[in-house]
Amino acid sequence: MPVLELKVNGNDCQVLVEHTTSLLEVLREKLMVLSPKMGCNTGDCGACSVILDGMLVHSCITPAMVASGKEVITLEGISASGELHPLQKAFQDNHATQCGFCTPGMIMAAKALLDENPKPTEPQIKEALSGNLCRCTGYKKIVESVMAASADNPASGS
Amino acid sequence: MTNSDFFAARDIHEACTRLSQSGKEAHILAGGTDLMVAINRRRLFPHKLIYIGQSGMDGIEVKDGHLVIGAAATHTAVIQSKAVKDHAGLLVDACCSIGSKAIRNIGTIGGNICNASPAADAATALLALGAEVKLVSAHGERAIALKDFFTGPGETVLQPDELLKEIILPLTKGDSRWGWLKVGQRKADVIGIATAAVSLRLEHGTCRDVRIALGAVAPTPLLAAKASAMLEGRTADESLISEVAQAAADETSPIDDTRGSAWYRKQICGVLVKRILTAATK
Repeated sequence: MPVLELKVNGNDCQVLVEHTTSLLEVLREKLMVLSPKMGCNTGDCGACSVILDGMLVHSCITPAMVASGKEVITLEGISASGELHPLQKAFQDNHATQCGFCTPGMIMAAKALLDENPKPTEPQIKEALSGNLCRCTGYKKIVESVMAASADNPASGS
Repeated sequence: MTNSDFFAARDIHEACTRLSQSGKEAHILAGGTDLMVAINRRRLFPHKLIYIGQSGMDGIEVKDGHLVIGAAATHTAVIQSKAVKDHAGLLVDACCSIGSKAIRNIGTIGGNICNASPAADAATALLALGAEVKLVSAHGERAIALKDFFTGPGETVLQPDELLKEIILPLTKGDSRWGWLKVGQRKADVIGIATAAVSLRLEHGTCRDVRIALGAVAPTPLLAAKASAMLEGRTADESLISEVAQAAADETSPIDDTRGSAWYRKQICGVLVKRILTAATK
């Protein structure tokens, strides 16, 4: 069984995995990092979205061994100080969460967007979130939250 | 990494050697976005994985008058490449419609080809671009036209000890035109119901190097050779475009499935070809 070494939210981790284990399984079942959710398990819903070495990926269809030597950031890792990240705050303020299952993936997809483009337009936000499904049909508030977070983003210069 | 189940090749030579030793037991892993879906759905139990994502096979460059794209280049890398934008804009458009950002960040162009889905977006665009593929094994290399690579749904001419090394495209010249259209039930993370990719060059109003390719309407991505030939050397007008679009639809052999009916697929791919040709030949 291969040994996987990776960094998760700043912590060095070492895990024994099957060669076909997904990164999502490692996060949830070996490391008890529970914000990434298993929705479809086929890369269609985005509930498992995490940032792998700066890039958004669906952890359910990312082989865990591909993350070898890399750094994974999940929702748990986006606010080091324990204070809410601007995106979390905006989701809270704008009531963008209904059942909450899609929320961690939505926020990670939004974070990947804002890291690349601090001041996105609404179409850019919709495009960036198009790989994430919300079955409570709450997209409007989600998009508004990302707009609000980008307006408050210090990197956006506004 | 020396573990027998998972082997991370450091270069293409290591990958080929390992593959020749493992044969049919091994699967090549690049981004994993197709392979993991099959594994998660319990359709595939690969005994061994040979990972090529860090084997240096992801370069994109213009070399000896051709655009050469390493098989392990991600869709995001293809989209962001200036060389691809300059010489294969059609491929950029097609790659933008693959999966979602999260898929494109890790899924590779070689995987899109080798998975051999009849609906593969990059593969369909590459057919229209006249791509060749270079296949490599421990015993040597061979280059074949992409149109001869696919043999059926999920099936290719790849031998058990062979892997796809790179995709080779002719450089665009003159007034090159192209178009890409995809019909699906959702904008992202969708497998096409039908797709169309067209590449051609206008020479004083005459169409040259016409290649019309269609996805999800045949057992493999389809180069509509008869329809392409009808337009070759001619000046496009409304009636000729309609004839070519009909001919392209006639070349398809779609099936009914959960995404769409055979009848609808045939109709819509004619419509897509007509729309693309009308815009591209203006």
